[in-house]
Order: sequence, then structure tokens, then C-alpha cells
Amino acid sequence: MNDRAVRLTVLDPSLERNRWTVGFRLILAIPHFIWLAGWFSLAVLVSIAQWIATLIQGTPSPMLHRFLAAYVRYAAHVAAYLTLAADPYPGFTGRPGSYPVEVEIPEPGQQNRWVTGFRLVLAIPAVFLADALLGFGSSAAGGGYGSSGVAATAGFLGWFYCLAHGRMAEGLRNAAVYGIGYSVQAYGYLFFFTQRYPNSDPASYEFANVYRADPIRVTVDDDLRRSRLTTFFRVLLAVPHFVWLLLWGIVALFAALANGVVTVIRGTSPQGLHNFLARYVRYQIHVYAYLQMVANPFPGFTGREGTYPVDVEIEGPQPQNRWVTFFRLILAIPAFLFLGALATAAFLAAVFSWFCALFTGRVPRGLRNLGAYDLRYAAQTYGYVYLLTDRYPYSGPAAGWQMTLAPEAPPPPAAPWQQAT
Amino acid sequence: MVGGLLLWPTEVPDNLRLPDLDPRAFFTSSELEEAEDYGLFTTINAVLATLAVLAVLFLYARHGERFVRESAAGRIGTGMLLGMLGFAFVWFAQLPFGLVQLWWDRRHDVSEVGYVDYAISSWFSLGGVFLFVCVAIVIVMALARLLRDEWWIPGAAVFVGLGLLFAFVSPYLVPDQSSLRNDRLEAAADRLAKQQGVPDIPVKVEDVDEFTDEPNAFAAGLGPTRRVILWNTLLDEPFSDREVRVVIAHELAHHSRDHIWKSFGFFALLAAPMALLVAVATRRRGGMYDPRAVPLALFVVIVLQIVVTPAQNVISRRLEAEADWVALETARDPHAQREVFRDLAETSLSDPDPPEWEMMLFGTHPAAIDRIAMAEAWRSRNRP
Repeated sequence: MNDRAVRLTVLDPSLERNRWTVGFRLILAIPHFIWLAGWFSLAVLVSIAQWIATLIQGTPSPMLHRFLAAYVRYAAHVAAYLTLAADPYPGFTGRPGSYPVEVEIPEPGQQNRWVTGFRLVLAIPAVFLADALLGFGSSAAGGGYGSSGVAATAGFLGWFYCLAHGRMAEGLRNAAVYGIGYSVQAYGYLFFFTQRYPNSDPASYEFANVYRADPIRVTVDDDLRRSRLTTFFRVLLAVPHFVWLLLWGIVALFAALANGVVTVIRGTSPQGLHNFLARYVRYQIHVYAYLQMVANPFPGFTGREGTYPVDVEIEGPQPQNRWVTFFRLILAIPAFLFLGALATAAFLAAVFSWFCALFTGRVPRGLRNLGAYDLRYAAQTYGYVYLLTDRYPYSGPAAGWQMTLAPEAPPPPAAPWQQAT
Repeated sequence: MVGGLLLWPTEVPDNLRLPDLDPRAFFTSSELEEAEDYGLFTTINAVLATLAVLAVLFLYARHGERFVRESAAGRIGTGMLLGMLGFAFVWFAQLPFGLVQLWWDRRHDVSEVGYVDYAISSWFSLGGVFLFVCVAIVIVMALARLLRDEWWIPGAAVFVGLGLLFAFVSPYLVPDQSSLRNDRLEAAADRLAKQQGVPDIPVKVEDVDEFTDEPNAFAAGLGPTRRVILWNTLLDEPFSDREVRVVIAHELAHHSRDHIWKSFGFFALLAAPMALLVAVATRRRGGMYDPRAVPLALFVVIVLQIVVTPAQNVISRRLEAEADWVALETARDPHAQREVFRDLAETSLSDPDPPEWEMMLFGTHPAAIDRIAMAEAWRSRNRP
């Protein structure tokens, strides 16, 4: 059975970008848009032929496979160029090894006829997620979202960054590659390159498996199991948390204002305010983790560290640049834009996880980790806005958070009231 | 006991003797048959739903503590989770009966709500229930932390206070309210309100015809938030303006005779012993300090609620009868009063003369035939 994965790799990790080609990138890409549109139309027809061939033979036609593979590779090159994940102007042929962002496509192999027969239906969730991760109409559902997609947003923000610095921000580049990578997997599944379902796990990218010592980190210690009962009622069970979040949020707003004034004057946050706001950020992440199916247990209401499987580590108050503190809200706008795009994808992941958990009692690791990526970025963004740190949120996937897969669910620890005599 | 005696008297004359009326004199035999048929099914369904809820909560009381492992929250948070899950099970238990009742209502043109709409809206309305449960559990468990087994003493008082607060704000929670767009009725409502000594109470209309054809009206609010709310289904055929005027007089009477306050008075009398019983019943599970006692507490509360329902219904019927009487005294239109109760029974398919046991279990209002009889009795007493 051919269940090898379609993979996206970055052959040239250089972040240097030519300001001129960055400035005119959209215009420069016009010939590619025209070529891509024509090729896409043909690829749809060819994929139908491939579907019939795979159904009859049980294995895709090598000739059609080559054609579709070249198309997917080419589409990935164009997407990488547009999102500034790569710098050189791509060729028009989708030749393997011709571009710094490369797609590895397995050779055609035997595929299950049932999975082939229902491929289009089975691919629907992946296509929606691909659209949310890539953006600008990457799929049949293109343009249906309010968000422009993670990769597209990374490209948009990266454009300004590149013009200013002459190089691409690493986090934005990695986020774009991640979005393109998932989209490529979705196409690979849809075009019968493999029968392996697209994997949204950011940790499957080498560049994502680097531990970053950010001042705000998220740790995930979760065994993927979910209670079907609490899953079914999850949104409603979170209602008291929404109320508490709102009440706490009002107080946190005033605390953040006070923190801003003091930090601008002193150059560092007061310990008390820092701790209070850190607890609020942690509590927010606990609640969102519960809501987004990233963790299973009902969270507490205190935001205490070490009480939840998805936890936020926040370092103590550090000296902060006063200018960065003063203009913090304005500086945070790009982070919020990216968070919006990421949250759309995470929302879809949460919906799909909800269905998976309801039927299987587990959530897929890829969806869970995409949710964790969103939560980590959200924690860093909120921490940045609340002046817990002046380190800008890192937009790349996975980095800055670690996963621990518990070998088996440990017995529930005795709660404080159970220990009381 | 003293409190009960103080709250018990009403303005309905003690020597009022209701005439023994034959329902067939006011309703056609087909109307009576349909009402009986509809009512019997509805009653059986409601009884079965109650039994299912009891069974589910009994099982939850026995095994519910295992859900402690689903919580990473502290003592109170875990208690909240267990409380919410209890009502989630209740929702599961009631859903099939609710859908069956909806089928029955649609068959009799009492409701137009779709099955999916019903299931989804009932699921979402659980959010409000969960919030209420959480507030209750936070109060009880916080008091239990301070006072351990004596939490019920202040607990009962706090719940009465919260109930009053809810009654105060409840008019603002009713959606789609508008003013009464009928000058004659509005003028009549003003006169009635003045007659009853509550000139500042407005009459509002709630649009419900999208969901139901059933007519209804109610008095809501306390103090400055008091108002009478009529469903817009009451303003259409077969109800005449005279009948609506009587309904307004009846609802105003609930305010002018302080029925909402009296209801809370009765509730206060029951709340303390009920809270004590919950405290005693949960003692073996560590008391309400321990979240593992929450499933048992839910079961006890529901059982107690069912046990006191007949007494609550007696009180409710008594207050409704007083409102009927005050409406007769102020609107002075026994014919319209007779007609409105006839039409209400007909449109809502309620049995005008249900059996005693049904009144005991579900009768929050006097039977239609008794209300008509009161109108006749008033006419006899006031005949020139």
C-alpha cells in the first residue's frame, strides 16, 4: 500500500531577500498566475482520469502521476515565491530540485479502492484546513473564509519585514512553509499520490523541532484521549469559564494599563502586576485549550502554573525597552493579524477534533498540535500586549513548546481536598 | 408554620361556593374528547420523563464521582463540572420525551417548532442551566468551606435572595417585547391598573407566533421592573378585546396582590428544610465541601422538588384563584372571563376538568371549569 507522505522541504534555508523583487512580487507573479490557472484546469480533468485509473487498476497511472506531480510542485513553488518563503523567481515546469522549497512526492503505488472511491468526500476536511493554512483560494473552498490564511498572512507581513530588513523573518518563513506544506499534502491526497491522510502536525517539519528559550513558552503534556461526554458538551461546559474570563478580563485591562504606565516609567514591570497578568494569560490558555480540544480535563479557575496539561511558562519581569513599551499596542497589530489567521485554522482543527473525539475517544495528534501552535502564539501575543515581555511573538510553528506523550494515562492525582483530613 | 399562615389568606371570600358545572355545557363533546386525548398522552409522557430523570440522576448519584478524573480544576471547579454533567445527563434523559411531546404538539397544531430546531435550542439552553448550576454550587461549596455542615443556614437565605434578584431582572430577559398597539386595550389596562392600585405597571407584548400558536400571559418583575407581558398569540382570534382585558386584569392582580413576593415567601419556608435535607443526605460523602457529593446532592434536590410539587401546586392554584377573583372585581365582566377561560382551554387543548391526581401533579392553575364556575359565582353574588 502506498501510504508514504508527500513532504515539503526547504533546500535553501537562506532568509536573504532582494528588496526589488519583494517590492514588485505580486506583479512579477502575474505570468505565473495565468499559467497556474490554465494548468489547474487541466489538472482537475487529469485528476478525474487518475481517479478512474486508480479505481480500475488499484494503482495510479504513472504518466498522469507525473503530470499531476509537476503541477503540485509548480503550485508549491509559486506559493513559496508569493509568500516570500523563497526568493528566486520560479520556473514554469515544476521540475524536481529546481527550487529552494521542494516537494517530495512518492512514486505511484497500490492504493485501497474504497479509500480511492470516496477520496473526494474524505478530502473535504483536509481541503478546508488547507485553505485556512494557505489562503488565497488554495482549494475549492477558496475565498470562503474571512481570514486570508496562515501562509498568506505570513507573506503579507513578511513583505513589510523584507522591505525593511532585506531578509525574511524566520518565523514567518517557517509559518508560510508549514501552510504550503499542508496544502501540498492535501493536493497529494486529492491527486492520488498517496493514500496517507494529510498531517497538520507542525512538529513533522525539521525546522519546527528546535527548542527556543522564549520568555513565554507553552508545554503540552496530553495523551490525546478525550472523554466523549465532556466532548459533546464542551462548549456549554466552558460557559462558566467565559463568564469568569470576562470578569477577570475587565480587571486585567485595568491592571495592564497600570502595568503600562509603571513599565514606561521604571523600565520593568512590577512583580505583583506581572504575576497577576501572567496568571490571567495562563488561565486564558487553559480555557482555550479546553475549548479547542487541545486538552481533556476541565480547567481550574485560577490560572495556577502546573495545574493543566497545556501549560504556560512565563518568566519573571525583565527590563523592557521603554519605546517598545510605549508603542506596544501599535506594534502588536501584526501579531494580532497573524493570530487571527492562525486562530481560523485552529478553529477548524478544533471542529474536526471534536468530531474525531466524539467517535473515537481520541484526537489526532496533528490537529492537537496545530491547536497547541495557535495557543503558544496566542500566549506570546497576549504576554507581549500585557507587557509580560518585550520579546515579539514567534510566528513559526512548534518552536518554543514541547510535547510529552504520556505512555499511558497516569491515575488521577489526589486533589487537595482529598488529602485533607 | 406561622409564616405559612400569614401568607395563606387571599381575597377570595371564604364562603364562596362554586357551582357544580357540567363541562359539556361549555365545550363540545369533540373538544372535550380531543383535550382528554391530548392531555392523557401529555401527562403520561411527562410522568415517564420525570421517572427517566430520576433514574438517570439516581445512577449518577451512585457512579457520578468517577467524573472527578475529568477535572484539572480545584474543589469548587470540580464540583461545578459534576453539577453541569448531572444536568447534561438530565438533558439526555429528557430529549426523547421532549421530541415525542413535540411530535404530539405538532400533530395537534399546538407547536410549529421543527425537531432539529428543538434539539439544538434545548442543547443551547443548557448553557443557561449550566451557568445557574455553577452559581449555586459555588455558593454552596464556598459556604461549606466556611461552615462545613452548617452551610444550609445561610445557603437557604442566599438562594432566596438570588431568586429575588432573578425575579427583579427577569423582565429584561424576555426577548422581542413591544408596547400594546391597541388604544382601547391600553386605556383599559391603565384604568385597571389604577383600580388595583398599581398605576405604574406597563403592559408589553412578546412576539412568539414564530414558535407557537399557544396563547399566554404572565406577570414579571419586582418593584420598578414590574410589568405584564402578553404573548402576541393572545391578541388574535378567537380572543376578543374584552377577553384580553380580563387577562390583563388577572395579571395585574398578581402584582397588586404581591403574588411574586408571596411565592418567594413560600419558597423561603421550603428552602431552609430542603437545604438541611441536602446537607444531611450528603454528609456520608464528605458533605458539600467535597465535590464528590455533588451528584448525590443533585438527586436529592430533584427528589425533594418532586415531593414538594403538589404543595407548590396548591399554593400556585390559590394565588391564581385570587387573581381571577380580583380580575372579576375590577373588570366586572364575568361573561368575558368565562369566554377567555373557555377559549384558553380550547386553544391550548387543556382538559377543562382533569382528574384530581393530574391536578395534584401538574395543576399550577385551577381547572378551566373551576375558573368558569368562579365567574358564574361572582355573577350570582353581584346580580342586581
